[in-house]
Amino acid sequence: MRGKLACAVLMAPFFLLLVTVFLVPTGTAIWLSFFAADQPGLGFGPESTVFVGLRSYGAVLSDPTFLNGLGTVVLYCLLYIPLMVVGALALALLLDSGVAKLRSWAQMSLYLPHAVPGIIAALIWLYLYTPGLSPIVDLFAQADIQINFLGLHTVLPSIVNIALWSNLGYNMVIFYAALQAVPREVLEASVVDGAGPVKQALRIKTPLVRGAIVTVGIFTLIWALQLFTEPVLLSQSTPMISARFSPSMYIYDAAFTRNNYGLAAAASVILLAFTVALSYGVTRWTNRKAV
Amino acid sequence: MRLSRRTLLAAGLTAPLAACSTPQRRGAGGPVEITFWSALRGSQQVVDAFNSSQNRIRVVFQQIPSGGQGGYAKLSNAARAGNAPDVATIEYPQVPGYAIDGVARDITDLVTDRVKQKLLPQALKLTTFDNRVFSVPLDIEPMVLHYRADLFQAGGFEIPTTWDEFASLARTVRSHNAAQRLAIFPTDGGMQFACYAWQAGAQWFDTAGGKWRVSLADEPTQKVAAYWQRLIDEDLVFRNAADSKQHDAQLGQDRVITRLSGAWDAGAQMRARPAQKGKWRIAPMPIWDEQVVGTHGGSTFAVTKDSRQPEAAMEFIEWQCTHPDALTARLKSGTSSQFPVAPGLVEAGAKAFPGEYYGGQDIYRLFAQETEKIRDGWVWGPRMTATQKVMQDGFARAGAGSGTVIDAVREAQSGTMPDLRALGLSTEEGAR
Repeated sequence: MRGKLACAVLMAPFFLLLVTVFLVPTGTAIWLSFFAADQPGLGFGPESTVFVGLRSYGAVLSDPTFLNGLGTVVLYCLLYIPLMVVGALALALLLDSGVAKLRSWAQMSLYLPHAVPGIIAALIWLYLYTPGLSPIVDLFAQADIQINFLGLHTVLPSIVNIALWSNLGYNMVIFYAALQAVPREVLEASVVDGAGPVKQALRIKTPLVRGAIVTVGIFTLIWALQLFTEPVLLSQSTPMISARFSPSMYIYDAAFTRNNYGLAAAASVILLAFTVALSYGVTRWTNRKAV
Repeated sequence: MRLSRRTLLAAGLTAPLAACSTPQRRGAGGPVEITFWSALRGSQQVVDAFNSSQNRIRVVFQQIPSGGQGGYAKLSNAARAGNAPDVATIEYPQVPGYAIDGVARDITDLVTDRVKQKLLPQALKLTTFDNRVFSVPLDIEPMVLHYRADLFQAGGFEIPTTWDEFASLARTVRSHNAAQRLAIFPTDGGMQFACYAWQAGAQWFDTAGGKWRVSLADEPTQKVAAYWQRLIDEDLVFRNAADSKQHDAQLGQDRVITRLSGAWDAGAQMRARPAQKGKWRIAPMPIWDEQVVGTHGGSTFAVTKDSRQPEAAMEFIEWQCTHPDALTARLKSGTSSQFPVAPGLVEAGAKAFPGEYYGGQDIYRLFAQETEKIRDGWVWGPRMTATQKVMQDGFARAGAGSGTVIDAVREAQSGTMPDLRALGLSTEEGAR
C-alpha cells in the first residue's frame, strides 16, 4: 500500500507534465484541425464555428509550399543525420582508443557548443555567414574566393553546419559512455586475435554500441524534423529561406502570418504523424536487422 | 533585421499591456478615450493636433512596427485576445483579410454620405466588399517614377513615358556606365509587381458572383512578367531587395538612378537620403498604351471589432482623412508625402509639403493628375501578406537565376489557394 502511494507521488509530476505540455496541446491541435470559424461565400458575413472534417488536412496536403518544406527537411535529414552519427562516433572512437591526448580537455571543448542555446548558436553563425559582417567571408574574399554561405544551394549545408556544431559533442559523449561499457576482455581477446586499432574500432566496438547508435539516430531524426530556429534566424539575412522553408516554419507562418489556425493545427498533426511514423519505421527496420 | 526578436517580443508583451491600460470609458463628463495604433510616420503629430482641436475625444496613440515587421501580427494577436485598439491602420491589400477575420468592423452605417462625398470613390471601392465598407482610406498612392534629374541631365537621358522607352533607356544607361542601372527589379517587391500588373489590366482577384476568383498569372500579368524577365536576362536591372542596405548603397553611390514606387515614397526618400536634396524629380509612371496606372502603398483606418466607442473612433478617422489640419500636421513632420484621398486636401498638401528636396517641383499637382489615371476595378485578395511573401520568395530565386518571374507568380497562386480553401471561402481559379 505504502509502496503504491510512493509510486503514485513520485510518478505524479511526470504524468502532470505529460498531460499539460503534451496531451492537452496535442488534443487542442487535433480539435482545432477539425473545426473552423467559417463564413460562406466571400467570407464577409458573420462567422460560425463548424465541423469541417478533413478540409484543413486536404488544404495542407494540396499546398505545394508545405510539400516543398517537407522535401527540404527530408533532404536536411539525409545530409545531417549520417554526418552527425558518423562524426560523433568517429570522435568517440578516437577518444576511446587513447590516440587523442588531453582526453578530458578534448571532450570538454567538443561538448561546450551544446551548452550554447540554439538561438544563440544560430546568431553566432548568422554573424559568421552574413557578407559584410563576417570575418570568414572577408578572409575568403581577400584570397579571391567569393563564397556566399547563404546562397540558393549553400544555405541548407550552412544550416547543417550549425546543427553539427551544436550537437556533435553531445552525441559524442553518449557514444563515449557506451564505449566505456564495452567489456575489456572482449577487446583484449580481439587484440590477441590480431585486430589492430582500426579493425578493433570498426569490427568490435562499433557493433557493440549499436544500441546507442540507433538511439542517437532516432533522437537526431526527431529533432531534425522540427527544424525551425536556425532557418528562422538565417532568413533575416537571406531571401533564400522562405517563410515556409520547413514544416515547422510553415506552421508558424500559417498561424501568425496567415492567421489560419485550422491550417496550422492540421499541419502540426501531419508533422506529428510523419515524425511518429518515420521513427517507428526506423526502429522496426533497425530491430529487424539485429535479429 | 526583418523580423527581429524584439519585434516579436514587443508584439507579445505589449498586447497584454495594452489591455491593462484600457482607458476608462466616458467617465463623469470627461472626454471619451480611444486607442489608435499606426505605423505611419507623423501620426503622433496628427493625434496631437486632433486632441488639441477639441475636448470630447482623447486619442491615445501607440506607434507600432510596420505591418511586415510585426505590426500585422500584433494587431491579429491583439484582436484574438480581444484587445485590439479602437482604430487600427491597415494598408489596402490587407483590408479584405482583416474584414474576413472579423477584425475590421463593418462600418457601412458609420460612414455617412457627408464623409463619402469628401473621398475619392475609386479609393473607397478598394475598402468596400459585398457592398459593405470595412475601412476608410486615408491616402491613395499612384505609382510614379522617381528619377535623378542631375544624372539624367548629365547623361542626356530623356524621361521614359512608355515601358518600351524605359527598356531602351535601361540599355542606354548600362552601355553608358557598366556599373550603373536604370532601376532594380525588387526581389521584395510583390507590391510593386502587383502595381505593374494592375496597370497592365490584370485582375488577380475578383469577387463577382459571390466567389473569390483567383488568377494571378492572367494574360496582362504574363506580359508584365515577360517584360521584367527580359530586363533581368539582359542584366539591365539589378536584382535585389528594395528595402535593403544594398539598395541604399546603390542609390547613395549613383548606381541606380530611378525608383518606381508610390507617391508616399517621396517623403521616405527625403528622410532616408537628405544628402541628395535637390537631385530628385518625379515623373509619371511609364505606360503600355493606355493612359492608366496602378497604386503602390496607401493606408486605411478601420474601427476594430473590439472598439466600444465606434462613433468616437469614426469621428477621429473622419478628421484624419478629411481635415486639412490633419494632413498639414503629418506633412509638417517632414517625413511624409502621402497623397490624400480627399481631393479637398490636395491644396493644403501642396502648401504644407516642403518642396525644396524636389527642386520646387509641384509634386502634388503631378500626384493629383496621376490619381485620375488609376485603373478601375482592382480587388485585393483575402491573404495578401502571405500571397506577397510566396511571390517574393520566388522573385528572390529568380533573381539568383533559378526559375522565372512568372514561375514566382504561379507559385504565389498555388501557395494561396489552400489557405483560402481552409478558410472555407468559395473559390475558383483561372481568369474569367
